[in-house]
Parts: sequence; C-alpha cells; structure tokens
Amino acid sequence: MRLGVVDFLDERLDVRRIAREFAEHRVPDHVNWLYCFGGITFLCFMVQVATGILLAFYYQPTTASAYTSVLHISDDLPFGVILRSLHAWTANIMIIMVIVHMLRVFFHGAYRPPRELNWVTGVLLFFMTVTFGFSGYLLPMNQLSYWATKVGSEIAGAMPFVGQYIQNFLLGGAKISDATLTRFYAIHVVILPVVLSAFLAAHFYMIRKQGIADPL
Amino acid sequence: MSPDNDRNGDHGEGGVPFLPDHFVKELAVITLIMGVLIFLATLMPVPVGLPADPLKTPAGIKPEWYFLSVYQILKYVPKNVGIAWSFLIFPPILIIFPFFYRQYTRFRYGRLILHTIVALGVLFAVFLAFLAYLGFE
Repeated sequence: MRLGVVDFLDERLDVRRIAREFAEHRVPDHVNWLYCFGGITFLCFMVQVATGILLAFYYQPTTASAYTSVLHISDDLPFGVILRSLHAWTANIMIIMVIVHMLRVFFHGAYRPPRELNWVTGVLLFFMTVTFGFSGYLLPMNQLSYWATKVGSEIAGAMPFVGQYIQNFLLGGAKISDATLTRFYAIHVVILPVVLSAFLAAHFYMIRKQGIADPL
Repeated sequence: MSPDNDRNGDHGEGGVPFLPDHFVKELAVITLIMGVLIFLATLMPVPVGLPADPLKTPAGIKPEWYFLSVYQILKYVPKNVGIAWSFLIFPPILIIFPFFYRQYTRFRYGRLILHTIVALGVLFAVFLAFLAYLGFE
C-alpha cells in the first residue's frame, strides 16, 4: 500500500517517467541570466490571469457602470486597489519583458533553423500581448481609456483599403459605445486568453522538442 | 556559425539538471519579479482617473507607451505610408525573416548587417517614443 496513489497514477498515466523527464532534463551551460525574460513574461501572464479573474468578478462592461465598478474595486474592496494596480503594472512589465525576450532571441540568432516556427509563434504572441494591452486600456472607461482608444482606432481607420472596415469592426459602429466596450471585453477576457494559451503551449512544446539554441 | 541540429532537445550529459540546480535560479527570479510587481502595485498604485467624457479632450493625449514610436513617425511621413509600414509591411517581415536565414547568411557579413540594421532600428524606435513622450511635433 506504500505510495498507493502514485503507483495507481503511474500504472495508468506513466507519471513517474514524465516527472523524471521534467526534473532531470539538462539545461545547457551557456544558459545565463539573459535567458530569463521569456520565463518572466510567462510569470507575468499567470499574474494577469489570476488578478484578471478576480477583477472580472466585480467589473461591469457597460458604459454606464464600467467606471463606477472600477472605482468600487479600487475604493471599497479589500485589497482592491492593489489588485487593480498589480494588473495594470504587470501588463506594462509583461510587454517590456516580451520585447526584451525578443531582442535577446534575435541578437543570439536563436531564431535560425530549425527554430523558425518558434520565432513565428513568438512574434504572434507579442502581437497578442500588445492587443491585450490595447483592449484592456479601454475597460476602466476613464479619460485616458476613451481618448487612447479614439486615437488608436483612428490610426487603424486610416489604414489603406481596409481601414474603415477594421475601425468599424473594432468599435462595433462609428464611435465608442456599449458595443465597443462589450467587444473589447470579449477580446480581452475570452478570445485572447484562449488563443494566447494555445500559442504559449506550442511555444513551450517547441522549446522542449528543439532544445535551447547553441550560442553563435 | 551554422544552424544547429539538436532537433530532439537533448543536450546530453552537458549542463546542469533542471531540478534542483536550474529550478533554484528560477525561484530566485520569480521571487525578485514578484517583489518588484508587489512593490509597484502597493507603493505606486495606478489612479482610476476621471470618467470618460467625449466632449472634453484632455491636453496632450497620447497612446500607450508601446505605440508611441508608431504615433510619432506618423507625424513625419505621409499617414498612408507610415500606417502601411507599421501594420501591413513590417509585421509580415518580422514573422518570416528566419525562413531566409540560409539565403542571407550566404553573404559574408549577412547576419552582421541584419543585426546592425535591427539594432539601429530599435534605437531609432526608442528615440521616436522618447520624442513622443516629450510631446515633440
């Protein structure tokens, strides 16, 4: 009966081999502190998931109540202001870390064959992270949110050929309204988390499969 | 100098085992970063600001910092060109350039030239963002 649970799982799911593979895989000697930015980005993402879920318990995505619900989170809830500030600060740090990670990979030439596909997923993850930031910026419905979204959507609207369609799609109409807020909310808390998690899984799978690139 | 071929991710007997050697370092970084984040969130809380008012344009309105270089370059080049470059031309190049690695490294200084161009481009983008931050026209 010793270690009954582990034996049970091991017979069915081969957990010992998986755990050993995870614990014993070798990390090459040339890995130094410059290699930590991708991991920090992932840490930031997990902080965003945790704080984001808690914020979603209280946030109300309508133009009439978004601002007051954020005020309520900040002023009335225990630790609410820390929760919100943590989400806002971590968003900025996450984007910095993605950029530094990208530059590290670029200047180490770690994108070179056979790792092109992991570079592709990485660039897409970067775009998703920035879209996360842009969509989240509107949600508190304060002056900064409103005017940054207005400027941003006008820039998108000036894109050749497709601009007007993209602007209409983004705003759910001609200007910022309830339709804009609900679709930014859906993008921010449903679409992006799911899509980004899938790409993250692919990103990590490829690192394990292909290993860490040799130095140039 | 050539692409490496360790496709199975097996680094053999070299290096250190993930657990505990590497994992301890990861814990140190996690602790440091969580410390920084909690420091910022508690001692420099982000204000909620004033409620959105479509009729009152605030002074010096700017996009978030990561869009500042795009925002600034649109002041100097025709809008169509700047936007086409930033959203339609640059992203696809960024995505597909590694697939041409063997082509451009056939030139003696191919990679060095590419890396120099990108380094200068990054510095230029930071410079533009800084100008936008200071509110230069």
